[in-house]
Amino acid sequence: MKIWGPFLSTIVVTALFASITAAAQTPLALELRPDEQNPSTPTMGDHLRFWSTITNTGATPIEGLVAWISLVEIDPGNEQPMDLEDWSAHKAISGVSLGPGQSLRTDWPMRLIKGGDYRVVVSVTGRGGRRVFTSPTIQFHVRQKPVLKTTRVLPVAAGVPLLIIGLMVLNKTRQRG
Amino acid sequence: MKTHWTIVKKESAQMLRSQRGLLWLMAFSGLLSAFSLLLVSNTELSLLDNAQVVYMMAGTILVAGALLAAILGADAYAGEKERGTLVPLLCAPVGVNVLLTGKALGLLSAWGVMFVTATPYLWAVGASGQNLGAALFYLVLFGTPVVLGFGYLAMALSARTGTVLASLLGTVTVLMLAASPLLIGPGLRGTIIGHAMDAINPFAGALNTFDSVIIDSEPFTAQAGRLLLVAVWLGLCLLAARRSAAHPNFR
Repeated sequence: MKIWGPFLSTIVVTALFASITAAAQTPLALELRPDEQNPSTPTMGDHLRFWSTITNTGATPIEGLVAWISLVEIDPGNEQPMDLEDWSAHKAISGVSLGPGQSLRTDWPMRLIKGGDYRVVVSVTGRGGRRVFTSPTIQFHVRQKPVLKTTRVLPVAAGVPLLIIGLMVLNKTRQRG
Repeated sequence: MKTHWTIVKKESAQMLRSQRGLLWLMAFSGLLSAFSLLLVSNTELSLLDNAQVVYMMAGTILVAGALLAAILGADAYAGEKERGTLVPLLCAPVGVNVLLTGKALGLLSAWGVMFVTATPYLWAVGASGQNLGAALFYLVLFGTPVVLGFGYLAMALSARTGTVLASLLGTVTVLMLAASPLLIGPGLRGTIIGHAMDAINPFAGALNTFDSVIIDSEPFTAQAGRLLLVAVWLGLCLLAARRSAAHPNFR
């Protein structure tokens, strides 16, 4: 019994350690990179593209995979998740199956609508598991660009109605004459 | 041919020579001015993308054009009847189609005046952005059949009912239903029902084309289906107008 005691405890500890390691091991590897063509100092209206690679590192297939992109504004005092409605038409992929060792490379294009500091992240979950895996985040700054120029809008907004008023006066004068 | 031009000249004069037409034009330019001023004075709206602003303005111009077509179309036959000029007009040696074409060309010239009035506004809000030329081109290509279609529909109802109010009410109801995509965003129309409604609604077809070419810079080939839709709309409305105009209600 004295011989078997330490031996048994070693086996139990090894088994426990192995099960904890297996539980901690993620069955998915997720990478996110900016496209090489992305502008170095993006401005409102520019297009950015990000590439995600999802790899099944587990031993079983992942069915019903859903991956989606999220954008968070991190300007001080204005921290908020962004509604991607105007930013991107490609916000998620779904229903994909990934066998063990298989990878899925996806591009995420977006148009920069508003200036500020942002962080982008891709999240993935499968039909079977309850976990959500997230990619490393990418942070970028969007420079603000004045879109509507007051110097161009004001003369038109005031000038055209004035022109029509002038026409009305001229018309009235002619009718009286 | 001379009769044609006489009717066209008379109908066209309504827009630029009559106080009523100029008042409409004044209201239209006031609407676009208010819209532009709102865009530059509001800090959030002023950050909207140029293409987005041009798209919104193109939709506003289209709905104003269709509304004008509804008003002029409703007045075309019923207005003549109410003024007591329909019977003399029908007794004159003017063909049914000549009268209808003359009224339609008058309506087209009114739409042309509206387009010319709207062009500086589109330039003011969209010159520093993308696809301003495409916006103007597609506003003519898709806006004209949609506007003319509403004019023909109003003429059909005007000739059939013989009352301006009934024909105007009928056309404006159809216009309100057709223009609902202006209020319901693309996200809400992303369902099967939304797609089905877009597939039969010429107004939505024109709006989706504006979205496609102004914001997404898509080519002409992607618009072929929608162009067919607005052409079918114009054809159907023309047929309805011709049938009603052949036997107008003058009693």
